[in-house]
Amino acid sequence: MGNKQTIFTDEQLDAYQVRDSILTFFLHCSLHGRYHELAPHLVPMDYTNDPDVKIPLALIVNMPELKENPFRNRIVESFSEDGQGNLSFNDFVDMFSVLSEMAPRELKAIFAFKIYDFNVDNYICKEDLEKTLNKLTKEELTPEEVNLVCEKAIEEADLDGDNKLSFADFENMISRAPDFLSTFHIRI
Amino acid sequence: MVSQLLKKISRVLYNIVVLFIPWEMRIKKIESHFGSGVASYFIFLRWLFGINIVLTIMTGAFIVLPELLAGPPFGTTRSKTIPKDHLASAQDLDTIWSLGGYLQYSVLFYGYYGNVRKIGSAGYRLPLAYFMVGMAVFAYSFITLLRKMAKNSRMSLSGASDENYTFCWRVFCAWDYLIGNPEAAESKGAAIVNSIREAIVEEQEKKKDTSLAVLISLRILANILVLLSLTGSIYIIYFVVDRSQKLEQEKPELTLWEKNEVSVVVSLITMIAPSAFELVAQLEMYHPRTSLRFQLARVLVLYLGNLYSLIIALLDKVNSMSSAISVGPGNLSDSTSYLATISQSTEDNLSTIIPDITERQNSTLTRTLLELNNSMTTVKSTTSSRQPMRMQSLLNQTVLYEYNTRSQQDPCWETYVGQEMLKLSIIDMIFTVASILLIDFIRGLVVRYLSDCCCWDLESNFPEYGEFKIAENVLHLIYNQGMIWMGAFFSPCLPAFNVLKLVGLMYLRSWAVLTCNVPHQQVFRASRSNNFYLTMLLFMLFLCMLPTIFAIVRYRPSQYCGPFSGQEKIYDIISETIANDFPLWFSKVMSYVTSPVVVLPALLLLFMLIYYLQSIARSLKVTNSQLRLQLQTERTDDKKKVFQLAAAHLQAPEGGDKKPEQESDITSMESSARSTSPPRRNGSITNFESPVRHGNSIRTITQSASRPDIPRAAGATQSPTVPVRQKHKAEPVASSSFRMYSSPSVPQRQVRRVEYIPIRHSGYLGSTSGSCRSKSYHNMAYKPCTRYAENSDPLFRKTLRPMHTEPAVITAQSYVGHRAHSTRYVIINEHEARKKLMRSNTRIPRHYRLADEPTEIVELYPRNVKCYIPRPPHRSHQPHLSEEEEEEDPKSSTRRGSFRQSKRPRPLSDLHQTAGFYIGDTINSQLSMEQGLYSDEEEGDQEEDWVNDPQTNIRGPESAHRYGEPYVKPKTKHKVEPSLTESDSASLASSSDQQNSSTDQYIQVIHNKKKYLKSNAKLTKTKSKSSVKLNVSGTNDLVCSNV
Repeated sequence: MGNKQTIFTDEQLDAYQVRDSILTFFLHCSLHGRYHELAPHLVPMDYTNDPDVKIPLALIVNMPELKENPFRNRIVESFSEDGQGNLSFNDFVDMFSVLSEMAPRELKAIFAFKIYDFNVDNYICKEDLEKTLNKLTKEELTPEEVNLVCEKAIEEADLDGDNKLSFADFENMISRAPDFLSTFHIRI
Repeated sequence: MVSQLLKKISRVLYNIVVLFIPWEMRIKKIESHFGSGVASYFIFLRWLFGINIVLTIMTGAFIVLPELLAGPPFGTTRSKTIPKDHLASAQDLDTIWSLGGYLQYSVLFYGYYGNVRKIGSAGYRLPLAYFMVGMAVFAYSFITLLRKMAKNSRMSLSGASDENYTFCWRVFCAWDYLIGNPEAAESKGAAIVNSIREAIVEEQEKKKDTSLAVLISLRILANILVLLSLTGSIYIIYFVVDRSQKLEQEKPELTLWEKNEVSVVVSLITMIAPSAFELVAQLEMYHPRTSLRFQLARVLVLYLGNLYSLIIALLDKVNSMSSAISVGPGNLSDSTSYLATISQSTEDNLSTIIPDITERQNSTLTRTLLELNNSMTTVKSTTSSRQPMRMQSLLNQTVLYEYNTRSQQDPCWETYVGQEMLKLSIIDMIFTVASILLIDFIRGLVVRYLSDCCCWDLESNFPEYGEFKIAENVLHLIYNQGMIWMGAFFSPCLPAFNVLKLVGLMYLRSWAVLTCNVPHQQVFRASRSNNFYLTMLLFMLFLCMLPTIFAIVRYRPSQYCGPFSGQEKIYDIISETIANDFPLWFSKVMSYVTSPVVVLPALLLLFMLIYYLQSIARSLKVTNSQLRLQLQTERTDDKKKVFQLAAAHLQAPEGGDKKPEQESDITSMESSARSTSPPRRNGSITNFESPVRHGNSIRTITQSASRPDIPRAAGATQSPTVPVRQKHKAEPVASSSFRMYSSPSVPQRQVRRVEYIPIRHSGYLGSTSGSCRSKSYHNMAYKPCTRYAENSDPLFRKTLRPMHTEPAVITAQSYVGHRAHSTRYVIINEHEARKKLMRSNTRIPRHYRLADEPTEIVELYPRNVKCYIPRPPHRSHQPHLSEEEEEEDPKSSTRRGSFRQSKRPRPLSDLHQTAGFYIGDTINSQLSMEQGLYSDEEEGDQEEDWVNDPQTNIRGPESAHRYGEPYVKPKTKHKVEPSLTESDSASLASSSDQQNSSTDQYIQVIHNKKKYLKSNAKLTKTKSKSSVKLNVSGTNDLVCSNV
């Protein structure tokens, strides 16, 4: 953190700062520290020549911030460019900027949708909901209960009657949730 | 660059500021481990800490420091010296512990402060300052609390919504992403399961009432138990206070326990009773949330009861003390003249309270005491030593009296109350610390390390880990703060002590939470919106202020100690200051202002104001709920419509018969919708004859076309029903854009075109009034010009990349709209005059808005794409708006003729031709429809025409239906043919175009005719939606035919 200049070129830092105005400068540098920490053998401390480094999902999921999260795999996958969960540093920064406290609600909603969309078909359908529920409750609910909750949830939020939640439905619902903003963020 | 730099600087500053927020990182750490609920407790604690800091500064700067710096030093005056017989024990630990000795005669308590009116060289009025600060403490607390509450409620209002997304929220918003602790995660998971099950149960059996009788009896029993324990606790406290008084009289030496009995008992009760209440609450079998509310209410009542019984008992004691004081000197001849006069005056008042017998006893007692004291103590102390505590005892207990006189050497009741409050606060702190250590830490240790060698699982069964009970802990904080407020007047250092206490609590609690607590299973919802706490705090503040105010108003200040000694009432300091230190006129004014003549009307006014504001608030609430209801119904309406639409959409490809029916009246909508933007395009084009300007014109087109995106984008984020108003605001901008680019020679025409839209709209909505001829001929005159515009269209299109599509399709569609309008248009025209006015009004502001529009579009466009729910296919095509025109390119040279032909109707419609003009057209079209549907050249025409057909003739919905039939034919035919993607997009673009215009339309209608606002908005909304989808398919068909 102290030797920023050796980690990034100024241009890179500027680019980061411009790109994600959400993230703070300091946070950014500390993020790199965290990123490096995850895989010291993979990630160089010197980032000035844009190394093409990606950290696999298995390592990222073990971050203390994510370790307890039932959706950790989905979070990492939805932020990775290749969809497989391998995060470049850019993806990593994106992830924590979206999950930071200051990210706007719209952005959070987009990524929340991505996270809950397990089969990546741009709709949250019943299977997605079931998966969400099972992860959330660690499969403590009976199948009937899960079924009922899924049906109810879709019934509540589905505006266009296609029995699955599009992003519009999802955003409409999530924008009214009182504590979505306060819960959908991670401190790093 | 500058803005970037500023951004950077602000970010850095923000980071620095964050560093200076006390415990920010600690709280965040807790938040990340335990979720936001637990963190709210610490945030509340920090807020209280802030308040106490300010209170400390107030008392410290205005009372304690001046007294220390400028007041007479310790030992100089009688109130600042420890009596000789106490001097020996003044440094003993138990004396210090019970706040006696040196502590009693220090700045900690009221009694230390001198009553000299001005101290120091600057003449600081300490007594006045003391009084003012005492009041300011309450005032400040009230103001900050109310402001915070207002802020919170504003925030919660903005986010408040009691929409019924119960299940969705419980699934999607349940997980607190902050949680990073396995135990917290586990309990959160359990909590989520609970809440989901709860929701399921609520959903399944809402009317389940089994064994009601048993339940009711149980609840009654529980309430009786709670009431009993409440009264019991109150009685115990009163009893303890009474006992301590008796003990003080009867025993020469009090043990440590006896000295601290009161505070210990109070603290014990505050600790034990909540758990007892919790046990009792299990009897009641309420819904967990309700039971939590009950629990909180009971605990609050208990705390209040404790504080009140304590303060009442204390005041009772004070009563007896002050009566003793006042009686004493009154019967003594050797007291100073000053005291004698005061006591005589007060004797009359107090004699009513104290029975004559006791008075007589008192007098005799005090005389004997005086003699005793005289022999024992110095002359100086005689004045102060004549105050026995209780007069019930007999004369033969003289030894005891000696003790009493000694112990009550300086019977400063204010100091006594302050001592008790401070003692209570200290004991409370000790108990908190002990409970944290014992109940949380030791238990945590035991559970963690002994669970292996125990026969049952300690972690999941009986002892478990201590839960962090947010609600109860917050209540405890409130109670603590209540003590501070109650005692702050009598012990100016109490806030300072509380600051220390809160700091300690912050560290200890956060440590305990992080090491040995698990979060409460049912997270208290109110913990998120802190207003619940604040309301309780406000309640507490008010109730704690009452006894203090009562004591200040009701009781006489002590005679020999404190800043108000020698005064009749504490608040006399104000009137005295006004009388002595202010000019005469001021006191006159003050006496006038405080007279009933002013006060009563002022009070009345205040009441009226309160009533007025309250009624306003009530009405606002009503409107608020109504609006919400409206929103809800509209949304359900939307839902229904969307369903219908989807159904129609599904049915359409199968049965062609049904579709036209819907379409016919939809198309009428479309037509009306489409009318605005295409004419605009034309208008802007007309004026640019030279190829050089085409670029400009194109820009204007895209602008005008995409302008409506802005409002939609804005509206899209909200529910689909909302945008109506926003659109209507943005509309003028759109129309203005093309007007700007038009050459000065033609502006009128263009303006008119835009303005006519509303008329048409209102017309087809049903306002029948037929006098439009005056206008229509006007429009006729412009016809050639616009026709020319059509010709120029292809020219500018050439500048853009050419595409292979059928322009005819688009034009056809747009024509549909125009024709339809024109016919309708004939029907009404009475609003012209108004429109003209409007025009002149609206034109001016439009210009300046132009400049920043393009950027707006750019910014908002993507969101629009994402958000606009009901018309996804449609939205995506909006970028093609300009393409639409590009696509028409290839035809330009060869088909100009056809274009001209085909486009002729457009200007006509734009210009609102009379019906006569159309007649020919419609005939033509009908003919062409029958004849040459597949001929390339005529296709455009034909299509336009047959599309037009139904609409041109439409006068009402029935006619629409009727004319819907002929429309079916060609379409079904064309459907077979494959469609090009580009043409597709083009058609879609056109449809979007029309949609835009449709929004424009009803917007304008709003301008013109307010009474139509609602119906229009709804109609257009629904129709525009339906039109979108249906239209898309329709246009596809058309396109196919061309290929």
